[in-house]
Formats: sequence, structure tokens, C-alpha cells
Amino acid sequence: MIGTGIKRGTAELAVLSVLEHGPLHGYEMARRIEQQTKGALHFTLAALYPMLYRMEQRRWIRGSWETSDNGRRRRCYCLTPAGKKKLSPLRQEWSELFQALRRLKKVSHA
Amino acid sequence: MRDWEELVERRLNGLALEPAESADVIAELAGHLAETCEELRKQGTAEEEAVRRTLSQVEDWQKLTRLIQTVRTKENIMTNRIKQFWLPSLLTLLLSMGLLALIQVFGPNPWLVARKSGWSLVAPVAVVYLPWLLSLPLIGAMGAYLSNRGGGSQRAVFASIVFPVMPYLVFFVVALPVMAIFNDQLAHNIMFGALFVGLFAWVLAPGTALLAGGLLAQFFLSRRLDSRRIAGS
Repeated sequence: MIGTGIKRGTAELAVLSVLEHGPLHGYEMARRIEQQTKGALHFTLAALYPMLYRMEQRRWIRGSWETSDNGRRRRCYCLTPAGKKKLSPLRQEWSELFQALRRLKKVSHA
Repeated sequence: MRDWEELVERRLNGLALEPAESADVIAELAGHLAETCEELRKQGTAEEEAVRRTLSQVEDWQKLTRLIQTVRTKENIMTNRIKQFWLPSLLTLLLSMGLLALIQVFGPNPWLVARKSGWSLVAPVAVVYLPWLLSLPLIGAMGAYLSNRGGGSQRAVFASIVFPVMPYLVFFVVALPVMAIFNDQLAHNIMFGALFVGLFAWVLAPGTALLAGGLLAQFFLSRRLDSRRIAGS
């Protein structure tokens, strides 16, 4: 299981990544992230929405109300151009971090 | 069927956002809880257990309220501060400074206020640019109008009106005394009378002129707002 600190750092990357494929509402976003990470990343409502609102204030994502087929109103989020721009350096940073950790592991095994 | 909106509204009790914004947050969180519960029910979880597990997503509602409040108001506070104070203040400062510079170069000679000793003027001498002073009520009114239009409080409007004299106030009240403390030559030559005359000529007189125009504008703007409110009610 991944620790809380690391999770917090990866949460924004997870949200941006999952929104890269199209707009999603909060519940669906949390479900997809959990499915795609095989449960390693799990967002509760309390963790998800303050982060979504923060990302919206930073203009990385944009929310708009939509009505689903069953008549329920949902707020769907999509990636903004600023969010798309943010995604690539974020991925790069995390990739560098994981590579560094892998190298560290090899050194400790040697 | 459980009323999730009512439940969320009750638990986010201290959420102090605009009513429409609060309603959006409540509707969104309630929708999330409703879907979680429905999904659990579809998986065969008993209703009571489904509700319990759904609600376990939020351990501390007060903390969540605080978090949402902070995140959603931080940006607004910044935007409001810029609209209500910084933009009107900096614009009035820029206008008043620009106008003073123009008057100093192209305008009539300044009015020198000083004691006369024979044919010459004796320090302390105050240099007063009358056309500049006469234009300040208009600049003050503009500051009041802009701050008012941005939804500024009485305090923000007042600060926007008098902002152009702030650099002079800081100079006479802070910079000059500090310089006098650290610079013996300046302390020796400085005259208290000159300090007060300077304060009057560069802070009190222009400040009064700015306030005259600004407060008058504010008075008319608030009356217009009141009459609109009465018409709307």
C-alpha cells in the first residue's frame, strides 16, 4: 500500500491523467483512478473534492453541470489547456523520481 | 430514498460561501454520496451498511467544511482585493503622480507659502501646485467609483481615495525621521516647522482634496444603490 504523503503528491497527476481521456464527474473519476491503479490510489469524497476545487481555482480543470440519462445533475470536469500543459512536466517529475528510486534499489542490491 | 442533499447541507453547516456556490457544493457532494450508496446497494450490500460505508468517506465534516471554504475563497479574496483596492488605488496614484509631473513641467508656477523677510521668503516654504490640488477631487471620485464598482467595503473605498498621498505620508512620517536619526547632518539641518509645513502641503491638503471628491462620489453612489434596492424590493 502506498503511503499518505506519496499519495497526496500523486493525486493531482492521477486526476489530470484520468481527465486526459475525456470529461468525468467526481464519482466516476474516483472509480476510474481506483480501478486503473488496482486500488493503490483510493479517493474518498473528503480527499477528492477539496483537491478538485483547488485544481479548478488554478484553472487546470473546469467544471460544468450536466444532466445524466437518469435525470441526475452532475458536475463534470474537463482538462483545460493549462491543465494539459501542467500534465507533461508533472509526469516527467514523477518519472524521474521513480527512476531515481529504481537506481537506488539497484545500488542497495549490488 | 435518503435525502442526501439535506444530509450534506446539515453537515456542512458552517460553509460560508455565496448561496448559489454553497448550493452547488452541496448538490455535488450529495450526488457523489448517492452514487456511492447506489453502487454498494447494487453489489448487494444491505441498505444500512451501504449508508454507513458511504458516510465513512468523510471522517470529519467540520474539517471538510474548512478545507472547501479555504480552497474556494482564497482565489476570490485575491481577486476581490485587486478589484476593490489595488486596481483603484494604483490607478489614482498613477494619475495623480502623472498629473503632478505634467503640471510641474507645463503648468503655471507653484504657489509658495512662506514667511516673508523683506523681499525674500524664509523657510519653511511650502510649494503648492494649485491646478494639481484642484484636480484631486476628481481623482478621488474616480478611486471611490472604481472601488465601489468592484464591491469594495467602506474601508476599501476610503483607502482607494487617499492612496495617492500615502507615499508622501510615509516619507514625512517614517522616512524623514528615520533618515534624521541616522544622518547627523540632516538632523542638524532639518526644521520641525518644515516637516509640518511639508506634511500639510503634501499630505493634508491633497488628502482633503481627494476625500472631498471621493466621499461626495461615494455618497451619490450609495444613494443610487439604495434607491435601486428600494425599487427592487
